[in-house]
Amino acid sequence: MSQKRITSILLMIIIFLAILNFIQYINPRKETITSIPSQSEVRIRVSTTTSLYATGLLDYLASQFNKLYPNVKIDFIAVGSSAALKIAERGDACIVFSHAPELEEQYIEKGIIDYGRIIAYNYFIIVGPLDDLAGIKNASSAEDAFRKIYEACESGKTFFISRGDNSGTHIRELSIWKKIGIDPHGKSWYREAGTGMDQVLIMSNEMKAYTLSDTGTYLQFKKEGRLPNIEELFSNDSSLINIYSVYIVRNCSSDLIPYARAFIDFIYYNQRDIIGKFGIDKYGIPLFIPAIDKEKELACEWLKIARGY
Amino acid sequence: MNEIIDITLRSIWISGCATLIAFFIGIPLAYILAYRRRAELISSIIESLVGIPTVVLGLFLYFLFSKSGPLGFLNLLYTPQAIIIGESILIIPLIISTSFRILKNTVYIYGEFAIAIGATKTQKMILILKESYLGLLASFTMAFSRAIGELGIALMIGGNIKDFTRVMTTAIALGVSKGEFESSLLLGCILVIIMIVISVILRIISRGIKY
Repeated sequence: MSQKRITSILLMIIIFLAILNFIQYINPRKETITSIPSQSEVRIRVSTTTSLYATGLLDYLASQFNKLYPNVKIDFIAVGSSAALKIAERGDACIVFSHAPELEEQYIEKGIIDYGRIIAYNYFIIVGPLDDLAGIKNASSAEDAFRKIYEACESGKTFFISRGDNSGTHIRELSIWKKIGIDPHGKSWYREAGTGMDQVLIMSNEMKAYTLSDTGTYLQFKKEGRLPNIEELFSNDSSLINIYSVYIVRNCSSDLIPYARAFIDFIYYNQRDIIGKFGIDKYGIPLFIPAIDKEKELACEWLKIARGY
Repeated sequence: MNEIIDITLRSIWISGCATLIAFFIGIPLAYILAYRRRAELISSIIESLVGIPTVVLGLFLYFLFSKSGPLGFLNLLYTPQAIIIGESILIIPLIISTSFRILKNTVYIYGEFAIAIGATKTQKMILILKESYLGLLASFTMAFSRAIGELGIALMIGGNIKDFTRVMTTAIALGVSKGEFESSLLLGCILVIIMIVISVILRIISRGIKY
């Protein structure tokens, strides 16, 4: 290659970088971080579990928060709980919403997240075919229900679909199997989907199979009429409690931390009015129960799940 | 409805920028490649990169742009600019490999001829680019379609942030996970229509300005 060509390639790279710079320059929504809160725009990045985001609760919370702090833009990145924490670990988010105490505990110990607040809870539910082949409707506990599902599956009557994606829901499902001493991996009736709750619910609807689901996604899909073949069969067991927490990421830029704290405090102190009423108009029941009244019990439950008791 | 228009415009803006950047890098490279005699190895490598999974590229760029990655100081992660860069990298191989054959053919037909009638290097280049005009346009359209239709990069390094980096494909994916299949389908239809309309418009313009 002659020197001329090398120069021209170098020139092209320089032009490319210049174009990029220009595009960034003309883009009006550049990230600006200053200490004057009332004038300049601040963007706070929040990584969150998809189940929480897809209900629309977070966008609603952000819009309410913006009435008080119009200059703070909250950017939500919706991924699974484990990915959300991973993004936080790499310093790409300032706030994390998660519902996997087992994982949160590890990240707290590593010193990656702190300022944790439990903001809401609900219950995981076991959904399955309308005729309930395994008979879990009368189960005494979640463990009992899983044992019944296991027996029914082993006799070839039905399937169980697992998220298989390391999400909060998946981790909880695995911990229940562990509690009853059964390892479902590799069984022909145990299907690991490796996708989100939405796809898993649709799959179990098609296959008339059992699965563990969060309440929000299930209610949404049920209401849209996507799940005619399955229904909620078992819930409200304390071992199926689903606790949502929010954390600040330690290595978040110090200019942003006050805003992040303000957002978390705003959520924390407005749980009853915002979270407690969210979804009533659409589903008849609230999707999440505010945590503020039962904080101590929930902290206890959180520890139990985190430590795997 | 407003949001759908917003998302659509953002998609066109992002993929349009990405295609333009990739085009201005890809075409010169293809031109250089067309003059090399033993370019088969390079061109076959580039051709194989055309089908690179967008998630893989997205993941790679995530590590690059992440705060703890080598380019973290640029603060590009989860911005539209990051998607633009990612998509241009994605489609450069497509542009090179589709335009390389066309340019090579034109060089074969007109290259010697241009020199024979006494054209300078620049004049020769202009002649060759003019003669392969339609082929290059097709390559541009293909690249734009690939950019506007990809999901992995926009999701991994764009983050699907509302009113900021949400583009059509990520909005469709989110709609599906919310159970709103109808609105997702609507967006999908708009996406396909945009691809077709832009391709047709480019064709019409190209007829108008030829020579």
